[in-house]
Amino acid sequence: MTITLTVNREERIFSGDPRTPLVDVLRDHLRMTGTKAVCREGFCGACMVHVDGAPMASCLLPVGSLDGAAVNTIEGVATREHLNAVQQAFEDHDVVQCGMCFPGMVMTMSRFFQTNTSPDRDEIKAAMTGNICRCTGYERIIDALMSIRTNEATP
Amino acid sequence: MQDNADAAVMNFPRRDARDKLLGRTKYTIDVGGSEVIHAVLLRAEVASAQVLRLDVEAARSMPGVRAIATWEDAPGAHGIGIADHPIFARDVIRYHGEPIAAIAADTLEQAHAAARAITLELAPLPAILTMAQALEKDAPLVHPDWKDYDILFEGAARGGNVAWEATVARGDTDAAFDRPDVTIIDGVYRVGRQSHVPFEPRAVVAAFEDGRHHIQTSTQVPWTVRHVTARVLNIPESQVRVTVPAVGGGFGLKFDCSLEPYAAILAKKSGRVVSLVNSRREEQMTCLCRENAEIRIRSAVTADGEIVGREATVLMDCGAYGGEQVFLTTMTAHTLGGNYRLGSVRLSSRAIYTNTPPNGAFRACNGVYNTFALERHTDEICDAIGMDRMEFRRRNVVGDQDIGATGQVFEGDVLRPMIDRMQALCAKHPNSRKNGQRLDDGRIYGRAMTVGTWFIFVGPSAATVNLNVDGSATLVTSGVEIGSGSMMHALPQIVAAGLGIAPEQVIVKTADTDAAGRDLGVGGGRTTVSIGAASAAACDEVRDKLLAVASEMLQTAPDQLVLADGRVEIRGRPGSGTTIQKVVAEAETRTGPISGSGAFTAPGIEAMPGCAAGHFIDAIDIPVFAVHDCELAIDPDTGQVEILAYRVVQDVGRALNHRAIHGQIQGGVVQGMGYALHEEITINEQGCFDQTGFEAYRLPLAQDVVPIEFDLFEGAPSCGPLGTKGAGEVPILNVGATIGCAIANATGKQVSQLPLTPPRVLALLDGRDEPLALDHISAVWSDNTLRR
Repeated sequence: MTITLTVNREERIFSGDPRTPLVDVLRDHLRMTGTKAVCREGFCGACMVHVDGAPMASCLLPVGSLDGAAVNTIEGVATREHLNAVQQAFEDHDVVQCGMCFPGMVMTMSRFFQTNTSPDRDEIKAAMTGNICRCTGYERIIDALMSIRTNEATP
Repeated sequence: MQDNADAAVMNFPRRDARDKLLGRTKYTIDVGGSEVIHAVLLRAEVASAQVLRLDVEAARSMPGVRAIATWEDAPGAHGIGIADHPIFARDVIRYHGEPIAAIAADTLEQAHAAARAITLELAPLPAILTMAQALEKDAPLVHPDWKDYDILFEGAARGGNVAWEATVARGDTDAAFDRPDVTIIDGVYRVGRQSHVPFEPRAVVAAFEDGRHHIQTSTQVPWTVRHVTARVLNIPESQVRVTVPAVGGGFGLKFDCSLEPYAAILAKKSGRVVSLVNSRREEQMTCLCRENAEIRIRSAVTADGEIVGREATVLMDCGAYGGEQVFLTTMTAHTLGGNYRLGSVRLSSRAIYTNTPPNGAFRACNGVYNTFALERHTDEICDAIGMDRMEFRRRNVVGDQDIGATGQVFEGDVLRPMIDRMQALCAKHPNSRKNGQRLDDGRIYGRAMTVGTWFIFVGPSAATVNLNVDGSATLVTSGVEIGSGSMMHALPQIVAAGLGIAPEQVIVKTADTDAAGRDLGVGGGRTTVSIGAASAAACDEVRDKLLAVASEMLQTAPDQLVLADGRVEIRGRPGSGTTIQKVVAEAETRTGPISGSGAFTAPGIEAMPGCAAGHFIDAIDIPVFAVHDCELAIDPDTGQVEILAYRVVQDVGRALNHRAIHGQIQGGVVQGMGYALHEEITINEQGCFDQTGFEAYRLPLAQDVVPIEFDLFEGAPSCGPLGTKGAGEVPILNVGATIGCAIANATGKQVSQLPLTPPRVLALLDGRDEPLALDHISAVWSDNTLRR
């Protein structure tokens, strides 16, 4: 089966088993390894991508259901010269540790700040619930996110 | 040196953040592409069995198969202390998940299909699933041939299902317990296994290049991987090269060689680059967990709180092979035997074989549960003799010139002033809540403060510093960046301060055993201390060479020259000197490029002769102390515990990067909260873990946590560079203890087990919790030893 989808604004064609999870299409077929496959059960959030603008766990999405969809991944969010607001806050506050959960967290929280530009701490924590981090204990990440509340959120 | 130390202190940001945030960092799991083939392991699905037949012939002819390996390919056994561990099961299966064969094929699907085509015939054997079963009289032996194994470290008692026994005996505990003026307090404690759940599972990519193995792996211990791979393959260590990309979390799990030899064998056999990655299910079900443990402590205490005698037995489940637990038996002397002055002490610390997946090292290994048991026991002592908990601790914590369990002499008063600092920290948030009080919302309030003793591992490290013509420096060590940031923060800061350059100008090379000298590995809080000390020594040599050349250029004695801001200046005359670049260029015409090497190992603190038997180290080189305080609320309807506030005073020696240490404290305490409240691996009747993934193994989430308040205690004695101690390992140390004690204080009930899940807390509140009984640990201490 052949599926056509747009990945980071570029048309890509996938031929193969339509049940293949999107995360495997990205990582194994397109060799875009920024999206991380960690739990493969939809719990950890490390594989979050945007599908037609909505953050979704790519491990739970069979590629066959995505014909014609627009997928944005961590590779398409920003350039090395211009991080988005969430990435910049994480770097400025030096909150990254092993880094495996951060691509997914950036995807979730970048979208969240488009829908809520001035959330309070509890709202940020609630939005983070689907993104598990084993290293940091979260609070410094929340501190970083609190710092961008009034800024213009970038996609 | 003081100038140096001040120059090294800064909130230098980590340089790997940007690529990690962009998804560009390549971890071992991200290495792939068309040249890489994929391997899987055929693993046992029973806990204990005789192998009657293993036939891989049909699998060899399956599509895409490039190589298959079994026990015939790996003749050697490895282990810590005892070589008890073959990498493939041969005649006997000893745990659920034990590898039987390894298969490499063009695709992962083909490798799995070939694994299914392997014929395996088994005859079931009885399985020992608990330590109580293992210690029963006439219990079947997990290793019937234990006497025949190679001993790699002499001096321990072993026997039957006791893989290793380390004992401490200082003073006359019998006399202490017989004293008429003492109260005897006897307590038992039990904890389950904790799974590390690193987001990058154990993974390896192996190649066979120019007659040598090249192993790229997600590890904390490149030199252990080199050694173990060579040992099990029965080849010289020099034929193995290990390199380490960014590691996606370790927490101790990757302190052992694990998947690497399988991939190495398959790479050599196939002539291809082989990737072997644990699936999440495999990673979870063969996790080298923090071991389950069972502990009995008996203390003889006078009315004014003097501990005149203490006897304890700690049973540590090592699973089917000894592994790290063999070494960790050593640590009980310093974790359970730590914190308090003891008039006399006897400790038995035993690693017990069971037919369960082997355990390993996990952040503050052994210390976390011994601190829980010790601090619960301490509160039980206070209740028994009617003394305030803090007053008891103030009187008894170890201080300057006090002796530890094995007779080592401690230097400096550390714990007592740290308790003062904690009380000052708490006083910033006064509240009148009392233990057991109902809050406005009906929940029950609890609070506790505990102390903990840990130590920094030292051991061999090597470093080379090359000073480059552009004035930058390249630091070459066997350090790896596992996420904790030591390679990103402390090491460039130390080198920069040593050479008077900016930390941005320090290039830090990650581990390559072909490039850097031997190292014990990244763990035990040792990176900043051991690799840092070797790096500082390398900088000293570079500095001497640099100043010798500059001395001639500037016509000034070397001791009148200072290095700062990338320049060599004449002391007291800023702008008088020249740039490091010019000195390096001059050196190249005279002597050649400037580089220096440095080394570090254990400085060797003495214990009291004859106190310790079966210990890998008898005394601790760098003790580290921690004081924790926790306030929590228990929902009496659900048993749910919410942490209201958590405070830490941590002994760090010197804080080089305050912000980085903050990150370690926040992350470590939260891992401890998971351990205390909901993370638990349970083992079912088949001998396999019930928690096979994220759904069943509950990790802390953003909404579970609070910001940790902390105060860094600086200035305690340390042989670490610039007075540092490792800061990443320790934050988890007394979290289980503090939460356990706070829940005991809130409920007024006996808390003897972790984790304190909602059902367990409800059972406590409702009085349905049966008192813990550990009948297999005798009240007669000597019955719990092989030397009796």
